[in-house]
Amino acid sequence: MSQDELTPKANPLSRWPESRLTRRDMMKRLAALGLALPSAAAILEACGEEGAPAVTAVSKDTAGSITIWGWKASLDALKLVDSDFSAAYPKITLKYVDRPPAETYRNIQLAIAAGSGAPDVSVIEDSHLPQYVHLGALADISDWVKPYVSKIVTYKWNWVKKSNRYYAMPWDPGPVAVFYRRDVFQNAGVDPASIKTWDDFYQAGKTIKDKTGVFMWQQARARNDGRLFETLLWQQGSGYVDKGGSVILDKDPKVQRTLEYIGRFWTDKLAADQEPWTDPWYKGQSAGTTATVIDAVWMGTFFKSFIAPKASGSWGVFMLPVWESGGSQASNDGGSVLAIFDQSTQKAAARAYVEFHLGRDQSQLTIYQKTDIFPSLKTAFQDPFFQESDPYFGDQKVRTMFADIAAKIPEAGIYSTDYQQMSSLTTPEIQKFALGQQSAQQALANAARLIRDRTHRS
Amino acid sequence: MIRDISQDLGFTRTRPRWRRELWRHRWPLLFISPFFVLFAVFNVYPIGFSFWLSLHDWPGLGPMDFVGLTNYAELGRDSIFWSSMLNALILFFIYVPLMTFLAVVIAAVLNSRFLKLQGLWRTLIFVPNITSMVAAGYTFRLILDKDSGALNHALAILHVSAVPWLDDVWWARISLGLLMIWAWLGYNTVLMLGGLQTIPPELVEAAKVDGATAIQAFWRITVPLLRPMILFAVTISIIGTFSMFTEPYILTRGGPIRATETPVFQIFNTTFQDLRFGYAAAESYVYFAIIVAITLFQFWGLSRRDPVN
Repeated sequence: MSQDELTPKANPLSRWPESRLTRRDMMKRLAALGLALPSAAAILEACGEEGAPAVTAVSKDTAGSITIWGWKASLDALKLVDSDFSAAYPKITLKYVDRPPAETYRNIQLAIAAGSGAPDVSVIEDSHLPQYVHLGALADISDWVKPYVSKIVTYKWNWVKKSNRYYAMPWDPGPVAVFYRRDVFQNAGVDPASIKTWDDFYQAGKTIKDKTGVFMWQQARARNDGRLFETLLWQQGSGYVDKGGSVILDKDPKVQRTLEYIGRFWTDKLAADQEPWTDPWYKGQSAGTTATVIDAVWMGTFFKSFIAPKASGSWGVFMLPVWESGGSQASNDGGSVLAIFDQSTQKAAARAYVEFHLGRDQSQLTIYQKTDIFPSLKTAFQDPFFQESDPYFGDQKVRTMFADIAAKIPEAGIYSTDYQQMSSLTTPEIQKFALGQQSAQQALANAARLIRDRTHRS
Repeated sequence: MIRDISQDLGFTRTRPRWRRELWRHRWPLLFISPFFVLFAVFNVYPIGFSFWLSLHDWPGLGPMDFVGLTNYAELGRDSIFWSSMLNALILFFIYVPLMTFLAVVIAAVLNSRFLKLQGLWRTLIFVPNITSMVAAGYTFRLILDKDSGALNHALAILHVSAVPWLDDVWWARISLGLLMIWAWLGYNTVLMLGGLQTIPPELVEAAKVDGATAIQAFWRITVPLLRPMILFAVTISIIGTFSMFTEPYILTRGGPIRATETPVFQIFNTTFQDLRFGYAAAESYVYFAIIVAITLFQFWGLSRRDPVN
């Protein structure tokens, strides 16, 4: 039994479709939603407002009890800072509610639709954040968050703002790199430093397959999740939509080039057909039957904790190859924020919590040292910890590399108010392409048409 | 002097009949009222609210935009919704005929006077139905994995090449059908057992006296008399197939290529992933209308062909 599926060790960035919600539960909740509708929003509003003066710190004597929602990995990380927090704010008590990501979001949606029942604070992934910002479910924290704007990696602010107001505090970025098996590369005689472009990467894949029989990466065909596709588009500043929100899947030639590139690994049998986050997928990584994993920094947590704890020293990291010389080597996958809900009646205490846990270098460093959840505070990158080598990655200095990538993540049209929908409309088309039932061009044309139909975008 | 005419007009004495009846039965009515109150609050109100919702665009917060029948018009040309209907229809034909047939046969065996330990067998066949579908679904996922699953390992021993149970559009539907049969065969068997027990044994005995074999008697006497129960079970299965949710959500996540997305699965995604509450409500109403139509058609067929009527 794959353990993560039943008790997910979810990272703050995952979007695994976990759920224990049955249809009956759903019906019950929908019924409750209908019931609670003519509800308490107005009453809560009346007692929720506080005249927060700009930028002054929250008083030490602020009292309150706040509820924080999230999933296990993210809450465990936040709890690392709690003893310091209690010392600084002795009168604030904390209550954590730990549910898998999909269930957390569903509960948030029901709470905001019902007008009551939302937490004071929740962990939200960047992929889901725009929906809530757009809906107006989150508290406007512009007054106190603005001083952090210059201190945090720039791209993280993209989804936090609406009409120049700020609705969340960025937590971790998801800088992406290539994790590779040192032993496999060595056996095949491939020097990772020689891989500069994606073409080099593909050639290396062929050499590795010829000489060792090992697959270059694991990419499911019929059960593809579209995540590598998104990551590679992000690197090129492309995506589902352009800056104006128009669909570009069928217009930007980079998109088709990317999908065709991924496709070559299937047709040339360089990709293992394994669904991510399943036992065989883990096994590929622990047993060294896959040469690379292209993923974000947080993948390290999973390697070390349960995917391949015994493979210490076998894995290394190098930066993404470029599409053309001088191109970007940075991309993003996942990432999250802490947001305060508009419904919260404890906004001062909630602010104290969010600011203390994410606004201090020491807090973000404490979390990073124990969990591989990367800081977004650029000031934290100066800490000596970044210069230390990581024994798991063969004593490589991976932290400075990821800091470097995090600072250069380009803007891209991946996450948006309709991200969930666009991703779920595109994925089946990629699956069809992967199975050889349609060309990349057809796949993208179909996906673009469906997205335009359903989201009413141009 | 003004005379009080109320007495003459009978205001106090002859209240409307229904009010008198109501008053006379006030205590029984009070005692059965909790059901009706809860039903009104948790069923009638949401059903009505859903219809109201289906005429609006609403992302779950803020004002609702009245859009009239626009959602229904869009639904008419929504290929994803209709393909989910088609998926349910295909799934129905994949597993319901086989499951119903097995249920009849197993029920006949379990109903036999010669079978020992009847209670044990009846319990065993029903156990999957009360097992958590989430746990069962994950277990099936592991068993059916094309590379590491137990089933393909067993097939390899028999020199059968690996089957892409969850990695092919048709095999995924068959896998889902297997899970449904595993979970619901017991329930259907119990229905059939109930039906069998209403058939007087003399009929079968009389047939045997007339020279029919056991198998002939089963097909010519028992099965026709069981028809009302079979049609009832099939009706339940139709509703169950179209509203299937947990099974595909766990086993296949609706894939590959949406092949196992059912209408309720689709409605769930529209609500919680797309945050289109109004559109999802419209989907629910169309889905409901189709289920009602199919069920009515079934009952019509049932009453027409029922030999007893």
